[in-house]
Amino acid sequence: MSALADWPVVFALPALVILAGLTPRAARVLPQAAAALMLAQLLVVFNVCRPAFARAEGSVGDLGIGGLTAAFLIITTIVAAASFVQAAALLPAERADAPEQGITDRRLCFFYTLAGSFLAAMYAVLLSHNLGFMWISMEATTLLSAPLVYYHRTQRSLEAAWKYLLLCSVGIAFALFGTVLLVAAQHASGEGASLLFGRLIANGSALDPRLVRLGFVFCVLGYGAKAGLFPLHNWLPDAHSEAPAPASAMLSGGLLNCALVAIWRVAQVTQAAGQGHLVRQILVPAGAITVLAASLMLLRQSDLKRMWAYSSVEHVGLLALAIGVGSTPVFILHALNHSLVKVALFLLSGSIIHVYGTKSLPKLRGLLNVAPAWGIALFAGAFAIAGSPPFGTFLSEWLLLRDTFAAGEAVAGGAVILGLTVAFVAISIHASRVLFGAAPPSVLRRPREAWVAAPAALLLAGLVTGLALTPPAMRFLTMLALGGQP
Amino acid sequence: MHLSTQEYIAGTAAVLAVWMCGLTQVRLALRGLAAQTALLAVATAALGLERHAPYELLLAAVVLVVKAGAIPAYLAWAAGRLDIRRDAGALLSPTLSMLAGLGLLATGFFLAPRFATPASGHAGMAGMALALVFSGMLLMLTRRLALSQLIGFLVMENGIFLYSLTQTAGMPMIVEMGVVFDVLVGVLVAGLVIFRLNRSFEHIDVTQLRGLRN
Repeated sequence: MSALADWPVVFALPALVILAGLTPRAARVLPQAAAALMLAQLLVVFNVCRPAFARAEGSVGDLGIGGLTAAFLIITTIVAAASFVQAAALLPAERADAPEQGITDRRLCFFYTLAGSFLAAMYAVLLSHNLGFMWISMEATTLLSAPLVYYHRTQRSLEAAWKYLLLCSVGIAFALFGTVLLVAAQHASGEGASLLFGRLIANGSALDPRLVRLGFVFCVLGYGAKAGLFPLHNWLPDAHSEAPAPASAMLSGGLLNCALVAIWRVAQVTQAAGQGHLVRQILVPAGAITVLAASLMLLRQSDLKRMWAYSSVEHVGLLALAIGVGSTPVFILHALNHSLVKVALFLLSGSIIHVYGTKSLPKLRGLLNVAPAWGIALFAGAFAIAGSPPFGTFLSEWLLLRDTFAAGEAVAGGAVILGLTVAFVAISIHASRVLFGAAPPSVLRRPREAWVAAPAALLLAGLVTGLALTPPAMRFLTMLALGGQP
Repeated sequence: MHLSTQEYIAGTAAVLAVWMCGLTQVRLALRGLAAQTALLAVATAALGLERHAPYELLLAAVVLVVKAGAIPAYLAWAAGRLDIRRDAGALLSPTLSMLAGLGLLATGFFLAPRFATPASGHAGMAGMALALVFSGMLLMLTRRLALSQLIGFLVMENGIFLYSLTQTAGMPMIVEMGVVFDVLVGVLVAGLVIFRLNRSFEHIDVTQLRGLRN
């Protein structure tokens, strides 16, 4: 029972979705069935993860669940469940309303096969406590999600898919070099090289510091490209804006976290080798610059989904900063808050784009008149992603700033405050233009207000994480981050 | 200075990479890639014999069949289907690109001591591995066609493979196999995307892809 109830179980329901997607005859029922399966998956994953909450990351074998893994498995599953629920509404409607796109049964079903495999690959990244397995799974996420970006078969989406595939593969090649350097760093230890996270941490003092430093730099370059750290973020807005909304949501709310978890693991190894100062010297400025650069780019956006993509870059900067100053509980908390809100926004934007027939910001006006419920949700989401109270994002950003200043990184802290302010202004301007004013005559279709359900549930959860952040909740996060009872 | 057989093999692979930097003919570049990868497979087999490690022999066989055989053959087939013969190069002319490749070879050797492990006794090998990684990057930056960029990526991957071969006591076999598998699937997916690019844009010149610039 115990072996069966462990990590392999998380792959069961995604495997069903993958297989069902291979039969085009399932097209009529597959969207609803997949959504139901993913909602059930929430329960499965939570039950598998519950015994692991207090397990230290270093005590896990090649594949397994520790406290941090459990947190991110749950976040990724929430993201996937919401995306699949929205996909069940959006994708069939899109197909029926826009026959000129020529979306066949086969393509619709293949979307589910790819999305299910992509989810499984993300699970594999999180479960891998072997840096080699982690690399293999990470490359698999790129290969499986690039075709998702090309779902609409437009020239732009093809170009975005190519850019994504190439830049991330090159980036990830750097991470492979970094991983090999970490193996080479074990030349002094007698018992042969290992890529096991726990072993690397335990033998940290026997690692060659010179090669560990190089390995860390290459891994940050590689996984940083995948996470979208400035200036390696180039592919991210294209891929996230051209993909269909449920895929954008999974890329933004799931995959970015996976890349950051990879950086977190390598940072832990580097720290164990006595090179913690390097982690800080690299990740703190990289995070702060990313926040600042992304917020400046947010100002001049003319595309709704690109705007949320740049906002994801900004939050990746914040998360990298959290890893840099070594506050893992805040890293987990902010990743959760960002994923909840950003997924809600991407899913909502998919519906808005469907109704307006464009994603160009200057043409999106008067959402509160067109679809009041969607408007209110977008208002709340924009407010939350900009880091306003009482949403969870406000608290996690505040805690992150507190830890940044406590770590003596005042310059980075100042830059982040400036960046967050600019981002707040930028998002408020763009969102208010979408919300208010008269609806343009070009609105194509009548909105279906029920489509707000999944985003609204996510935003509600994002509100609860803000309101329920009591001292026991903080202690629970610390337990997840450090393993064992604090 | 006395060079071991393996150092000769790796050196030839690095020189091949520099030669590839100066090529405009895609077909020749693919042959260069196949030859270079085959050399690495031979080096792996030699090391396997030396260390009495049967797994290394298996790895050598997989590298020979998949990375030196199937992948270049697939790309050559794709080039034939798309009727691609020449890549004039962007940014640098082929001659300059080859000179830059030589410079990168020197840089690799200059940086080698920083990357070499003391135990391996092959500091020069680290230099050649780095030279491969750098020339792969140069190829990716200075080529015009999506297909040639893929070749650059594979050269870079060869460099990483050479480094892990000579500077570590051996990566876990399952990881090595996983990497080869990922590279294979990656090339297949990228090949499909290249076919689509060609159908949709009627060219695969990446310098002409500018729909997404804002």
